[in-house]
Amino acid sequence: MHDDNLMDQLLRDTMAAQPPQLSPGFDARVMRRVRPRRLTQTGRWLLAGYIVVAGATAAWLMREVPATAIVAALVMTVPIALGASAYGRRITVGD
Amino acid sequence: MGAEQPPHADLTNERLVERCREGVDEAAFAELVRRYRGSVFRLAVSILGQEFAPEAEDVAQDVMVRMHRALGSFRGEAKFGSWIYRVAFNHALNVKARIRYRAPHVSDEALATTPSSDRSPEDQLQDARRKRAVHDCIAELPEVYQSALRLHYWLGASMSDIGAMLDAPENTVKSYLHRARQLLHAMLAERGFDAR
Repeated sequence: MHDDNLMDQLLRDTMAAQPPQLSPGFDARVMRRVRPRRLTQTGRWLLAGYIVVAGATAAWLMREVPATAIVAALVMTVPIALGASAYGRRITVGD
Repeated sequence: MGAEQPPHADLTNERLVERCREGVDEAAFAELVRRYRGSVFRLAVSILGQEFAPEAEDVAQDVMVRMHRALGSFRGEAKFGSWIYRVAFNHALNVKARIRYRAPHVSDEALATTPSSDRSPEDQLQDARRKRAVHDCIAELPEVYQSALRLHYWLGASMSDIGAMLDAPENTVKSYLHRARQLLHAMLAERGFDAR
């Protein structure tokens, strides 16, 4: 019992350092991370323009490619693109 | 005339979770963050140790983000607090495993500068070495003992708060602390220090 009291006092002395505090911007940083990220109006127009131009260019370039080859290419690339996008989201939010 | 109460401060955790799930109620989530940020941070820092407060803050932030994502699937079988503390405990342990090899070294020289007006330099150095030995011995204890010790002695948490954070009844927390002191006593004796 005596030793326990001595150890209790030693621990109090040893751990007398000031406890750390959360930094003041903690809440704001959390809220920023959980808020859904939306593109600005300009960003949306640019993305829509890119999709239209890229789609039209791809269709024109592949006009003589057989449909089966196009399907095969899509089957291979779409899962990779979706996986990369999901991985990107995960590392962005630090999961 | 008093301080302005945050929105939703009067709602229960369950109601706040419901409001978060019903739709985009940012204020309900902000209130959950306000309620748990401090204790989640303290739990994380009690696991990671004194030198890793910035990492503990990152853990607290990650836990809040995970809480936000998991609210949709939270069914309320467990108490909300127990659930979030379990997530925090496990995440802090994972982070600790990653950072354990870059623990900052505190030299004897730095420890010897601990101010004390009425003791000789030799006594102060011996005292500093003993404190260092205590910290080293604590780091060798089981995780739950380390956490309980730091929460109690360093962060000043009450037995009931420690019990909530470690998901253990108060009597179990008391026995963790008692057992930890016994182990420390033996470990210090092995290294040639006493508790006096």
